Amino acid sequence: TAAAPRPWRLFGAMCLLRLPRITQPLEKEEEEIAALMGQIELEKSHYSDHEIRKLQEEEQLRRRKDSKYDGDDEAPGKTVIMAQDLEDKWEQKLLQFKAAPRITDADKNNNRTSLNRKLDSNLMLLVKQKIGNQKLWLLPQVEWQPGETLRSTAERAMATFLGDHIQAKILGNAPYGIYKYKFPRAIRTEDNMGAKVFFFKAFLQSSDLSQVELKEDYLWVTKDELGDYLKSEYLKKVNRFLLD
Amino acid sequence: SKSVSPHALCSFFFLSSWLPQMVLFRGSHWQTSLLALRASLPMRAQPKKKKKVDVKREQAQKDRMKKKIKKLEKAAPEMIPIEDFIPPLKYSESSRVRSLPPLSFEETERRVLLMKKWCLFKQNQDKAEQKAIQTLLKAQQEALKELRLESEELYQAAIRRDEGLFPFERDGPNYTPPLPGYDPPEGKCVDITKVYTQ
Repeated sequence: TAAAPRPWRLFGAMCLLRLPRITQPLEKEEEEIAALMGQIELEKSHYSDHEIRKLQEEEQLRRRKDSKYDGDDEAPGKTVIMAQDLEDKWEQKLLQFKAAPRITDADKNNNRTSLNRKLDSNLMLLVKQKIGNQKLWLLPQVEWQPGETLRSTAERAMATFLGDHIQAKILGNAPYGIYKYKFPRAIRTEDNMGAKVFFFKAFLQSSDLSQVELKEDYLWVTKDELGDYLKSEYLKKVNRFLLD
Repeated sequence: SKSVSPHALCSFFFLSSWLPQMVLFRGSHWQTSLLALRASLPMRAQPKKKKKVDVKREQAQKDRMKKKIKKLEKAAPEMIPIEDFIPPLKYSESSRVRSLPPLSFEETERRVLLMKKWCLFKQNQDKAEQKAIQTLLKAQQEALKELRLESEELYQAAIRRDEGLFPFERDGPNYTPPLPGYDPPEGKCVDITKVYTQ
């Protein structure tokens, strides 16, 4: 006997995460402890070769000043590089190097469509999709077709919105979360009660998305900003499988 | 030509008796000249006895060598020293000890209190992490339960192991994002680690 058709429609959704590119700033306690650990390490350490050389040269300089040009016969011919000079040279070299800023332009403009924003946290892809007769902000989802696994549905969802050449590492075959909802009474029938949306997680690996042309509106948002776009019930379920 | 083995010398002697004309022939650069070689060969009155004594001596030498080799092999292999665990002697000299003023009472108090605060901070952080992981697991279990209600086939596909997931590699986050168009300075690295063989 064939199994009775279930009244739930299945959807596969993909939560695409862009992992952080820079480290998060340290908390106050962490900074204090880091300073303390540095101090303790300094106290427990012995002098290194460079420091001994510096101390000896300082001694020599002091002796030369005290004895007032007594050692003048030996020194002036050769130009000795002092350890202090080396340190100054290294300091200069460090100051010349300018690193890329941690807070990018996209941060300042709050351009939520750019991937270069909030480099120290996870960014998720949100797409505006038409459900019923409403246009809602959702994680990209696509209806399941018989003959494919749910993971391939999620992959298809990603490909529909971002194209085939996206490199993403999907974390396993199992769904991470589920959002179940019943259709409003107007459309609900015996065979078509509601829908179940299964969420899958993936890490974005291709860093260059300039060739991607998204037809619909899209956004890259952090976990805290999800509340601005998602409905409360949906948001609750999504927040359960997102680690900050 | 002390380094030439007696075997090579004997063969050379043979060859030289065959071809007296080839004065220029030199087996190796150790053999300076033909005539000098002939003079340096030990001449014995009884050639036959010489061979036996030589052979016996050689065999005795070989046995002694074999015994030594067996003894060495029986002895346990020497441990390879771990260079990192042995601090070089020059760093334990007393002249290297740092001279710093002793810590004041306030400083020690501050340090102890800071360590206690850190303990608490880390404990809270760990608890939050555990809680997050538990929620994650619960959400996944719920999803799998619902999936099972839907279709057994999809459920079985979902709980199958993903072979392509591990080994998973990723370059960790740095302090600053990569600078576009940065040309790192050239340099050469010479590896001077000592490699020990057993």
